[in-house]
Amino acid sequence: MKQTKYLMNPGRLSRQDNTLKFTPVDEEGNEGQPRFLPVEQVSDLYIFGSLDANSALYNFLGKEGIAVHFFDYYEHYTGSFMPREYLLAGKMQVEQTKHYVSTKKRMVIAQAFVEGAACNILRVLKYYDNRSADRRKANCLPESIATIEQLLASVPTAPDVPTLMGIEGNIRQTYYSCFDAILGETFCMDGRSKRPPQNELNAMISLGNMLCYTACLSMIYHTQLNPTISFLHEPGARRYSLALDMAEIFKPILVDRLIFRMVNKRQLQPSDFRMEVGGCLMKEGARKRFLQEFDASLKETIKHRSLGRSVSYKHLIKLECYKLQKHLLGIDAYKPFKAWW
Amino acid sequence: MYVILVYDMGQKRVGKMLKLCRRYLNWIQNSVFEGELTEVQLKELLYEARRIMNEEEDSLILFKNRDQKWLDKQIVGVERQSTDDFL
Repeated sequence: MKQTKYLMNPGRLSRQDNTLKFTPVDEEGNEGQPRFLPVEQVSDLYIFGSLDANSALYNFLGKEGIAVHFFDYYEHYTGSFMPREYLLAGKMQVEQTKHYVSTKKRMVIAQAFVEGAACNILRVLKYYDNRSADRRKANCLPESIATIEQLLASVPTAPDVPTLMGIEGNIRQTYYSCFDAILGETFCMDGRSKRPPQNELNAMISLGNMLCYTACLSMIYHTQLNPTISFLHEPGARRYSLALDMAEIFKPILVDRLIFRMVNKRQLQPSDFRMEVGGCLMKEGARKRFLQEFDASLKETIKHRSLGRSVSYKHLIKLECYKLQKHLLGIDAYKPFKAWW
Repeated sequence: MYVILVYDMGQKRVGKMLKLCRRYLNWIQNSVFEGELTEVQLKELLYEARRIMNEEEDSLILFKNRDQKWLDKQIVGVERQSTDDFL
């Protein structure tokens, strides 16, 4: 399977001999030993360091169908270089738009996204509820689980998308309030804050969500779906909102579980973060570890129930896109992915 | 499949072979490459390699493995180049 490459250090990426060459450059402008990346093995590039590149390289990447995602100094996702669409399907596009325009059809899909997200959230919470049963007596998890279940029950009766977004927001708020109980004393949640995140935990969530969003975007690119027409989130200008919809379903399983795992195993410590003016940032080494763990969990495989074979989490995202396509074309009703373990 | 590829070429052809292998696999040492390939990619690679090689004089050896996890890699001395995805 093709790999995602993460460029953390400053340097120059160029095309040479029909493949990619990365030359690290340090602060004084000295070039390090170049490393050749086998172009046939690269699925997409994540750029965290400052990168020099020219149009010859982008032409080449475009031809090879490699997307490049950029993150700024504060680890915010800033944008992507998307190669020309290579899987064009007018029929798909028309159907996707039709489903967006008709309120009734749109609600069906939007509800499915919220339902999937809520179910996966519940799965995570129940797992930690089970584990903490003997460890800590006083616990807010069962309460929150009940609240979320109630909210989930009101999803099918929601009259319109803004109401649905409201329910979704309430679910997330209840969910985030459980983080403190799961994580213990090292980090505290203190409410969700973004742009910029105000504390360590929020910094982790922001980075993780961003990675999940870009992973979804990369997978959508390899299907006929148009990433700009979304159902739950309002499609806006200059952003790929369908990836936001998809990310809702996978955030609890990919990002939140990763954060819990890394914090509880003490792979991340308060000393891995530094406060800057107005926000909290993850330090270089910690960020790399976080990315490595995230990449590893994307590659992790599970035995798929209906396919009867092992699929990676990354492929699972793509399967989700296929299911949505089938729904749009009226072949099969869309059922959101729900973790069953 | 996970592949280790080594070659021994005449001086005239060695550069071409290097460039070809760089497109598909990670360079780890002079004339040695490793990496994950699909069946089709391996066929492509071997097809191209045959066109470069002089099969009377040169040789190319492939070590194939079903998965990287069955491969125990040990490095003695300097690691010339890592195959890490984070750089």
